[in-house]
Amino acid sequence: MNPGVALAAVAVVSLATAAIGFYGLRISRTTGDFYVASRTVRPWWNASAIGGEYLSAASFLGVAGLILLSGTDALWFPVGYTAGYLMLLLFVAAPLRRSGAYTIPDFTEARLDSKAVRKVTSLVVVLVGWLYIVPQLHGAALTIRITTGLPSWAGSVAVVVVVCLTVVSGGMRSITFVQAFQYWLKLTALALPILFIIFYLAGTGTPALAPPAANPTGAAPTGLYQNVSLLVALLFGTLGLPHVLVRFYTNPDGQSARRTTLIVLGLLSVFYLFPTAYGLVGRVFAPGLARAGQADAMVLLLPGELVGGVAGDLLSALVVAGAFAAFLSTTSGLVVSLAGVISQDVLGGGVGGFRLAAVLSAVVPLGFAFMTDSLALAGSVGLVFAFTASTVCPVLLLGIWWRGLTDVGAIAGMATGGLLCGGAMIAGAVSGAANIPVWLAQPAAWTVPAAFAVMVLVSRATARRVPGTMPRVMTRLHTPERPLATER
Amino acid sequence: MTRIRVTTPLTAPASGPGPESREAAQDSDVGQVFVRSLIRSQLRLALVVAGGFLVILAAFPLTLAAVPGLAESRLAGIPFGWLLLGAGIYPVIGLSAWLFVRSAARNEARYRDLAGDR
Repeated sequence: MNPGVALAAVAVVSLATAAIGFYGLRISRTTGDFYVASRTVRPWWNASAIGGEYLSAASFLGVAGLILLSGTDALWFPVGYTAGYLMLLLFVAAPLRRSGAYTIPDFTEARLDSKAVRKVTSLVVVLVGWLYIVPQLHGAALTIRITTGLPSWAGSVAVVVVVCLTVVSGGMRSITFVQAFQYWLKLTALALPILFIIFYLAGTGTPALAPPAANPTGAAPTGLYQNVSLLVALLFGTLGLPHVLVRFYTNPDGQSARRTTLIVLGLLSVFYLFPTAYGLVGRVFAPGLARAGQADAMVLLLPGELVGGVAGDLLSALVVAGAFAAFLSTTSGLVVSLAGVISQDVLGGGVGGFRLAAVLSAVVPLGFAFMTDSLALAGSVGLVFAFTASTVCPVLLLGIWWRGLTDVGAIAGMATGGLLCGGAMIAGAVSGAANIPVWLAQPAAWTVPAAFAVMVLVSRATARRVPGTMPRVMTRLHTPERPLATER
Repeated sequence: MTRIRVTTPLTAPASGPGPESREAAQDSDVGQVFVRSLIRSQLRLALVVAGGFLVILAAFPLTLAAVPGLAESRLAGIPFGWLLLGAGIYPVIGLSAWLFVRSAARNEARYRDLAGDR
């Protein structure tokens, strides 16, 4: 495609993001503004922002690429990404909002009355955040290389610079507006081109090149274990993602946290129809894109491949803009939540500490991204979900629903899950994607139960350490706010 | 728009004083009984909805596997297997979520009546 058009698209999205960020600066002044937008964000805004933040490089590029490669097996990714929000709604949304905590470490410290738990949780959250930012930067590098021919690093650096500028200047308040804008941008940028392509194909009577059931690269179908393990990771990983959770503190109360999540589920369901459509159209009409070894770039290349000409260029530009919105929004969401954790636990809070922490949270993964190669985006994000599901998820679920959880149990469980899942990830990275057994490639099915089991057993063994504040905290988590505080 | 001033995070919000009525609810033994029963009913509700959803989710691929030819049969030119897994699951997710939000709010309303917390 035309590199000039692609560059212009990237520039427009980056400028729009920065502009909304600076507009937000004028109404963002207190420490509370910087952390959680003063908790006055309306459900629709908040839901759009959550959707904007959640739909990452994996959703925008990776899902369609994976569907192109492996067909209906890959449909479990969008289903799992969405159903993960259902689990979040069922088990976490309202109690977490009612806890009144800002970050996951705040929550675990308050619930278990322990500074040590706070430290371990902070470590895990920062690790998860960094691991999750890396694929975003890989996605940006891929997009820039494919569409403009510039070196890969330019894409990653551009994302980090724009994110640092917006977060440092405005904090969460402007981030909320930026994210909400980016959900709708991403939806438009994905929906318009594919609808155009479908009508174009129907109008010109383009013949199908392959049946939808044929894998273009001859990829073997995934087995039952892989699908189940993937679903475990996605269903239980979502509810522990730090950038998703921090959004719930911006709801005024528990009931509105639930309403917001309900809207988010609708927004996600609509969004994921489109990567699925790209995947299906790609398999049938452009299976050659998979054989080039760059299935992740399929969404970017499809308009040029199937439509071509000026129309193809314009549609490609729109897709590139949407892709950049995805990298920017997810990265900035993660940077905000990481900065919240790092500034409170390492730098002692305050707006200055928050800004420094934000820069730290973005620059470290940039180093990781330079050192590692891009795997399949949806797959590498799936592994981060497995890690979250094995560490943050057990401590949240048991902390919210089980009175018997102790600080020692929480630490032992998080350590077990983190070591097992982290070990599997490292073993997989070292031995290469081609020759690792499935139980190492998709570890969630055994690491998540292991983390839960250790957390429960160790808590039982140390039952005398259940904090005296527990009944009070449980009451706060589960009882509704006074009607005065709710709407209507 | 009213501006809510938020205190610094390190004051551990969850252990600080909250609205009086919520504190009052837990001070008495009876209050704790109500709280425990609320937690139990909310957990039961969440587990039932999650379980029901997972059963339906598992039923989708099982149906496709059990009925030969179903996955390849076409609806409006799109293979049925793709329609079911690529679009058909989302309404189930939405419906489960909607049912849960309604029932959870009802559980809370019942708690408010019992605890006289209004």
